[in-house]
Amino acid sequence: MDVQATVEECLELWRNPYPQLARLREEGERPVAFFCSYTPEEILHAAGLTPVRLMGAVRTITHADAHLQPYCCSLARTDLDMALAGELGFLEGEVFVQTCDTMMRLSDIWRRNAGLSFHGDLVLPIRMGEEISLPFIVEEVRRFRKQVESFIGREIWDDAIEESMHVYNRNRRLAERLYGLRRENPGILDGLSATACLVAGFWMRRDKHNELLHELVEELGKGRISQEERVPLLVSGSVCTMPDLPELLLELGADMVDDDLCCGHRYFDAFADESVSPEEALAKRMWERVNCPAKHQCIEDRAERLMRQVGDCGAKGVVFYLQSFCEPHLFDIPYLRGRLQEELGVPSLVLESELQSFSRGQLRTRLQAFIETIRGV
Amino acid sequence: MSSDGNADARAADKERRRIKSTEAMRDLMVKYYTEAKAAEGTDKHIAWITSGAPVEPLIAFDVIPVYPENHGAMCGAAHMNVELCEAAEARGFSRDLCSYARGDIGSALTKGGPIGGLPRPTFLIACNNICNTVFKWYEELSRFFGVPLFIYDTPFVRGELPAHIADYSLRQMKEYISFLEKTTNKEYDEQHFVEVAAKSLFASGLWAEVLACNQHRPAPMTCFDAFIMMAPIVTLRGTQEVVDFYQGLLAEMRERVEQGIGILPSERYRVLWDNIPVWYELRNLGRLFLELETCLVADTYTSAWTFEDVDPSDPLGSMSKIYAEVYLNINLERMADKIESLAARFDVDGMIMHSNRSCKPYSLGQYDLAKEFTRRTGKPTLVIEADHTDSRWYNRAEVETRIRDFVENLLGGGVGL
Ligand code: SF4
Ligand code: SF4
Repeated sequence: MDVQATVEECLELWRNPYPQLARLREEGERPVAFFCSYTPEEILHAAGLTPVRLMGAVRTITHADAHLQPYCCSLARTDLDMALAGELGFLEGEVFVQTCDTMMRLSDIWRRNAGLSFHGDLVLPIRMGEEISLPFIVEEVRRFRKQVESFIGREIWDDAIEESMHVYNRNRRLAERLYGLRRENPGILDGLSATACLVAGFWMRRDKHNELLHELVEELGKGRISQEERVPLLVSGSVCTMPDLPELLLELGADMVDDDLCCGHRYFDAFADESVSPEEALAKRMWERVNCPAKHQCIEDRAERLMRQVGDCGAKGVVFYLQSFCEPHLFDIPYLRGRLQEELGVPSLVLESELQSFSRGQLRTRLQAFIETIRGV
Repeated sequence: MSSDGNADARAADKERRRIKSTEAMRDLMVKYYTEAKAAEGTDKHIAWITSGAPVEPLIAFDVIPVYPENHGAMCGAAHMNVELCEAAEARGFSRDLCSYARGDIGSALTKGGPIGGLPRPTFLIACNNICNTVFKWYEELSRFFGVPLFIYDTPFVRGELPAHIADYSLRQMKEYISFLEKTTNKEYDEQHFVEVAAKSLFASGLWAEVLACNQHRPAPMTCFDAFIMMAPIVTLRGTQEVVDFYQGLLAEMRERVEQGIGILPSERYRVLWDNIPVWYELRNLGRLFLELETCLVADTYTSAWTFEDVDPSDPLGSMSKIYAEVYLNINLERMADKIESLAARFDVDGMIMHSNRSCKPYSLGQYDLAKEFTRRTGKPTLVIEADHTDSRWYNRAEVETRIRDFVENLLGGGVGL
């Protein structure tokens, strides 16, 4: 495998996945959009649908303002805008998961104004990881399975879901291997390339993505690609709609050596137990996986986890990359920054992204100043 | 008649129309805050609690409930919330977070506000049936005060309440009771709980009747009055004092209805209000509506504390259902049903929606609700932009012009959108 060529393809996909999604449809696949990493993709996959993730787009809002106030995150606004503008016609449906208040309302707004043939809702508790909520999630997954079944007009067999769980578990293992390799051999693959190869999986069938990751991991295992010294940083936040942030880090002599992103490290955490019923397995996985900030912190304190990650990957600084107006993330910032600084002496920077007024220049200036301070230390 | 005589007549008329129970309410609230403040540092338990959370268990366990949201409204009305927000912002809390949360964190940090801050909690109760902001906010409080937090988790309800949500809620209600047994070192007394629950429901029934008096023309109060009068039902339902207070208020309202005493000297238009009040603007907006002879006769906010469908033989079960299905925890279609029914019951000419930058669950979806409202009722709507307690986001001139325009051109003509 030509690592460079694969990375280039994935990067192109990351910059604009939409033409590829339209192609998927032409090739006979049935793409269904999802937004949140708590989506039980395995059920969609087992139903013969292809779950694809929408992570917003850099664009001027023309339609969504009639339905959403400007004080909500640009993921919600730009995704809805694309849907209302009729640019997502290649999709067969969409799945909403209850995470934040914005998503909860967006589901209704989307269904009423831009709904496609299938509209799925998965309601989740905020108390993850506590005995009391598990039976509720199992039932909710069962209900979701029924929604999908009624859409495709037939049952989804247990063994089909088991096969899909196997595919997704393999994907998680490969992703973990990729991150492991990078940790063990710093410089073997930069954060931009690694993340590109990971997020590319949102826009193709998981089976295909497994092949890609498998070859990548094999190739990387063969030898160390030496690279110049870079300032190691960890990036924490929700999703990176565009590759600009890790790209700029490279340009400025730094690298994202690990992340706490919903399109990165948090996406592939925890496995589905292939020895119990599909509903239980899928419910249990989301229940015990690393918590998203939109969930109550009962599993583990986010600061503890972040500090451990920083220690493991040797990051010299943390960049928080958030969507403007994103309450779950914004609330945690003072606490996380405080502990990083007080206990580890690790400085951090908060950057907010608004896709409808995205400015690469501004991002660059702020990153540059931050990296220079770290270098000075 | 001399101009003095005119002034006298005006003053007499004003006095006739003034709601007399206001004093009783003020006394009740002052007593409540004084007692709560005095309890700080004693062995009495104080719990900070969100406005949508079940408070009855606290009352039954003799815990003093303290409501940061009510305090936030008070700070907002006293024009003191901005400086509290700024204190939180200086600590790194974004200006885009709910201003109740920011103000409260700021007040915890600085002891600022009209009453010198709230008494320190011994534990915290948060219920996300009003928003998901509250549990993040209370997580922060829990770290700040180093006290335990109980989360009563209410998943979003679309359509009918599904059995697995009802079941999850009931299990948590029981867990809540055990949590209280542990933290207060007292045993659960079902008999006593049923009494408290019965009082709470009785008071909420009285409150519903008070609000219903506004179905009459002229309306005996505006929802600006209701915003103030609802403080006891939010903070102290379940106690006898609250029952007494609402009995008094109801009697006064009925008398006004009988004697035809309206809150406005003249009521030309009747309007439905949506969302939390703009607390720092109550006075100015009140004046404007008076001048426009427009009465805000009902709203979606104060009616959130009117409970229905209670089975006395199953207090925990019915309570858990009620708290799962509050106005902000249901889908847009169910919300549209509610505003449609309010519009019909209160015979309104239109609706004004406060698009509240602080509160996403209340505000996102309003544009769609506005359209749906007009489609169903044929009445016009206006959406104004503001923030419930952060006046830095408020443009008075613009909002007032828009309201004036709405009343004069749309309500007058009765033209739909
Ligand atoms: S970015 Fe934040 S506000 Fe936007 S959908 Fe995600 S959690 Fe919600
Ligand atoms: S105003 Fe809205 S966001 Fe703020 S605490 Fe209340 S319900 Fe939550």
